[in-house]
Amino acid sequence: MSHPRVEAVAAEARAAIGAAASSAELEAIRVRYLGRSGEVTQILKSLGSLAPEERPQVGAAANEAKRELEELLERRLDAARAAERRRQRERERPDLTLPGRRPPRGSLHPLTRVREEIVTIFTGLGFSVAEGPEIETDAYNFEALNIPRDHPARDMQDTFYLSPETLLRTHTSPVQIRAMRAQKPPVRIICPGVVYRRDADITHSPMFHQVEGFAVDHDVTMADLKGTLDLFAREMFGPRSKIRFRPSFFPFTEPSAEVDVVCFLCAGAGCRVCSQSGWLEILGSGMVHPQVLKNVGYDPEEVTGWAFGMGIERIAMLKYGVDDIRLFFENDLRFLNQFA
Amino acid sequence: MKIPYGWVREFVDVKLSAQDAADRLVNAGLEVASVTPLAPSGLRGVVVGEIESVERELGESRGHRLMVCRVRARGAQRFSVVCGAPNTRAGARAAFAPPGATLPGLGVVAAKKIHGVESEGILCSERELGLGDEHEAGLLLLDGDAVVGADLVKQLGLDDHVLEIEITPNRPDCLSVLGVARELAALTGARLRPPDLRLREDQRRATELARVRIEAPDFCPRYTLRVIDGVRVAPSPAWMQSRLRAAGLRPISNVVDITNYVLWELGHPLHAFDAARVTDATIIVRRARPAEPFTTLDGQRRTLDASMCVIADSERTVGLAGVMGGENSEVTEATTRVLLESAYFDPGTTRRTSRTLGLKTDAAYRFERGADIEGLVDASARAARLVAELAGGVVARGMIDVYPRKRRPVRVRLRMARVKRVLGVAPPAAQARRILTGLGLGVRARGADLEVSVPSFRRDLAIEDDLVEEVIRVWGYDRIPTTVGRVSVALARDSDRGRQERTVRQVLVGAGLSECVTYAFSDPVRAGALGASSALKLLNPLSQDASALRAHPLEGLLGVIGTNLRRQAPAVCVFEICRTYERDVAGDTETAEPRWVALALAGARADAAWHTPAAAADVYDAKGLAELVLAEFGFRPETKTGGQLSGFEPDSHATLVVAGAALGEFGEVAASTREAFGIDAPVFAAVLPLDRGVPIARQTPRYAPLPRFPAVQRDMAFAMGERPVTAAAIAEAIRAEAGPLLRGLAVFDVFPLPDGRRSIAFRLTFQADDRTLTDDEVNVIHARVAQRVGDARGLTLRGGEAP
Repeated sequence: MSHPRVEAVAAEARAAIGAAASSAELEAIRVRYLGRSGEVTQILKSLGSLAPEERPQVGAAANEAKRELEELLERRLDAARAAERRRQRERERPDLTLPGRRPPRGSLHPLTRVREEIVTIFTGLGFSVAEGPEIETDAYNFEALNIPRDHPARDMQDTFYLSPETLLRTHTSPVQIRAMRAQKPPVRIICPGVVYRRDADITHSPMFHQVEGFAVDHDVTMADLKGTLDLFAREMFGPRSKIRFRPSFFPFTEPSAEVDVVCFLCAGAGCRVCSQSGWLEILGSGMVHPQVLKNVGYDPEEVTGWAFGMGIERIAMLKYGVDDIRLFFENDLRFLNQFA
Repeated sequence: MKIPYGWVREFVDVKLSAQDAADRLVNAGLEVASVTPLAPSGLRGVVVGEIESVERELGESRGHRLMVCRVRARGAQRFSVVCGAPNTRAGARAAFAPPGATLPGLGVVAAKKIHGVESEGILCSERELGLGDEHEAGLLLLDGDAVVGADLVKQLGLDDHVLEIEITPNRPDCLSVLGVARELAALTGARLRPPDLRLREDQRRATELARVRIEAPDFCPRYTLRVIDGVRVAPSPAWMQSRLRAAGLRPISNVVDITNYVLWELGHPLHAFDAARVTDATIIVRRARPAEPFTTLDGQRRTLDASMCVIADSERTVGLAGVMGGENSEVTEATTRVLLESAYFDPGTTRRTSRTLGLKTDAAYRFERGADIEGLVDASARAARLVAELAGGVVARGMIDVYPRKRRPVRVRLRMARVKRVLGVAPPAAQARRILTGLGLGVRARGADLEVSVPSFRRDLAIEDDLVEEVIRVWGYDRIPTTVGRVSVALARDSDRGRQERTVRQVLVGAGLSECVTYAFSDPVRAGALGASSALKLLNPLSQDASALRAHPLEGLLGVIGTNLRRQAPAVCVFEICRTYERDVAGDTETAEPRWVALALAGARADAAWHTPAAAADVYDAKGLAELVLAEFGFRPETKTGGQLSGFEPDSHATLVVAGAALGEFGEVAASTREAFGIDAPVFAAVLPLDRGVPIARQTPRYAPLPRFPAVQRDMAFAMGERPVTAAAIAEAIRAEAGPLLRGLAVFDVFPLPDGRRSIAFRLTFQADDRTLTDDEVNVIHARVAQRVGDARGLTLRGGEAP
């Protein structure tokens, strides 16, 4: 079926296809041989000018060659395109070790984190949150809490005054008074807030944060206080945490207790942080003084209550290993972002 | 307070080590800050040595004449020791460190050649022993009766520990050796042995030798005086001096040292007057006169006032009652007759006087906490006995005792049921009785309860619950069980403010801002630069730059930005939830504390990253963050230029408004303001008040059906004319003109044209609820809007997307 003239063109085309290195070259070969004015197309177009006896032979051969070349081109083009795509991907291969495009994310202040943690534990235990003013009267901050004027207990809390009668609260305890005056027992309240004492060094800040908690009801005991703080310590410092009560003195509680938690760095073995004692002092507490209950109009024969107060900075310093309280108020981003 | 443990053991028979005793005290509420050995650490094996003879001289070394001495220590042992001390002499007894002993600075002592002679040990100076600074004066010499070969630490009474005890203000009775001993007795059941108070008195009566008159019984309810004659003032004996030193007191002279010794021992302050310097030997206790000048015995001239109590004679003031004696009547070497005061002064008066004069003394410290109005008799007797014994005094018979306000006996009933009710646990009544008795309280059983009479030294025990604490304190706080009580079902929740603040924090932390907490104190200079001087000033600030309270919500954050930029932070994006403090007629403090959320940005919008071109934060970041917070509460505010807060650039300051209410302000911080904070880069900020405007929580959203028909978008760009027109004004005009089919309008491009005018491009989204809009329909609206808005606002329509 072949014909020498057709075969010559076909052989040339086959060789060109064989030598082609890219899909672009193959496309060019298609145009040259099979395009509108391609060489094979020209043969088919010129059939009319051939001798009648030659026509079927050349026509069949040219059609055969066209089919063959189209098939060959298709195969080679597929292969060439696949290879080119591969090369292309290879070139554009993503570097997955580049940092991801992260949406911006700021940070909560460490004191906020610790406060939220404490508040969450106590709301889980049935305590509602109350707040109060930072500027307080002497009456709420001291006298209602059984700390009379000219009493040495005032030395325990060195105070900033705005006037002889108004001051920056030295503890969150006045919120106790305000809350109890506003409602009848039972009360279970927790009050986080800013407090102020005239004191500044690496463990004392003139402004710091406290959380006060208290419960007053018909049969509330010191054992309940201990049980509640024990639950708190295990939530806050881990399930193996333990607490210890030591007698102490606060004018507004009787009996009063200082509460220590087993040092969570050395598990009680003794280390630098706990001064080799195995215990860390975390809060002050006690049974609400009968005089304080009277001051808010409660009858101490009817109800009893307990209260505690802890410094958020102290807990945060212990928890995060921060050794200078001033870092919390300096707000260096390199510090803050460690708590992101 | 420093308490030598050996002193305590004089009064209580306990076998505990100092550390164990300290632990027991801590568990009973006496904070022991430290237990320190009295002897320097590293001093071991040093003994009393006798220099038998100085055998020969070795010559000079560094200005000292070296000598070879024969030293006798234990038994028959003799040592050949080279020594260069100037006070080296045969027959002296001195501190001697034989080979094998250790010295604080030198370590283990070994035999050593000095100038070719083997020295078998060291004769020591105070400094070499770690006992003091003295070295040049020579060897530490001991009394002739020191036993040769005895351990030096024992010989000097240094084989003891000092307890540093921190006493809470309610326990003045424990501000003494006897008080601590009494606690230990109660805790261990050991017997208390109070000091010997027996006294040999002279024939002459004190009342014949001196007189006392109290003119201010409210300041001084009791005043006693003893008269001691024939006193020879001299240094006190070594044992007393070393005890005083161990307690941290400075020995002065026997009479003064005795008053200090008894103060430490029994806790009651005493004062000794030179009788010759008290006119007519008459003591008058009275109010000070207004502006009365007085020189206390520290040599300071002070001005008194009528709220203070003084000790006077008929002519002049001789002492500041309960605080400090006067220079004009103090005991000196010439003193022979002493008036010994033992009195009780009112705590409040003493405290006010001490604070007003800034004069803190051991005496004032005790009187302001409450002294023992009955026990002062014992203190007087104890001191008189010691003066007789150590200063050769003759004590006149009796004591002048003026006691106009007698203490009323205190009786408290302790119901055992109350103990159980408060603690949740109670010891048997017999146990409680033993505990209270051990503490020195008088106890009688009354049925199931106890009738307790409180001694005068326990002023802190006034009510039943005070006794509950005493019982559990001694019985042991570890006996309190852990329970959680009756669980009442109640809805516990965070406060409204707490929830609101939490929402704000979540939004801003999610948007990349770091939360800050800054001091509420305000620096008047910086506040002034912010245009917000505080009305609230502290009477006693710690420093001038923290002398007022925050009046502008940005003061703290601007400080934070300054700090971080100085520390090379490239991007500072911070926020704070804070209060400002202002005067207000309402409320019992006549102040108000409105809450704010403040945010501020400086430097880059974010830290540099490979995928995002670096860009500086600008005012639209501040605005967008404020809008983000308000959006969380369901608000889409409009912007009105200008605002109420000071501290912003006038041309870059606007207010976010919803339904006429201002919900916040934002803008660029004024250059003059930020410069006062040391910031040289632009700062953009926004401030939202949380107590007005921003609600506690978002209203519950209502669902709106989703559109069923497709939307069509068209863009429209204008070139601004000469007259400035705001984006908000153009948007408002587009909305009004486009009618209800316009469902979305966004500014998607703003840029300057080559001719300097500004181009602003809007994307309009059209949609109908009931049909698919045709192109023709939309094109007609779009063309009308473009033309009318352009004409009305003097804008030129740019190419845009032609219909």
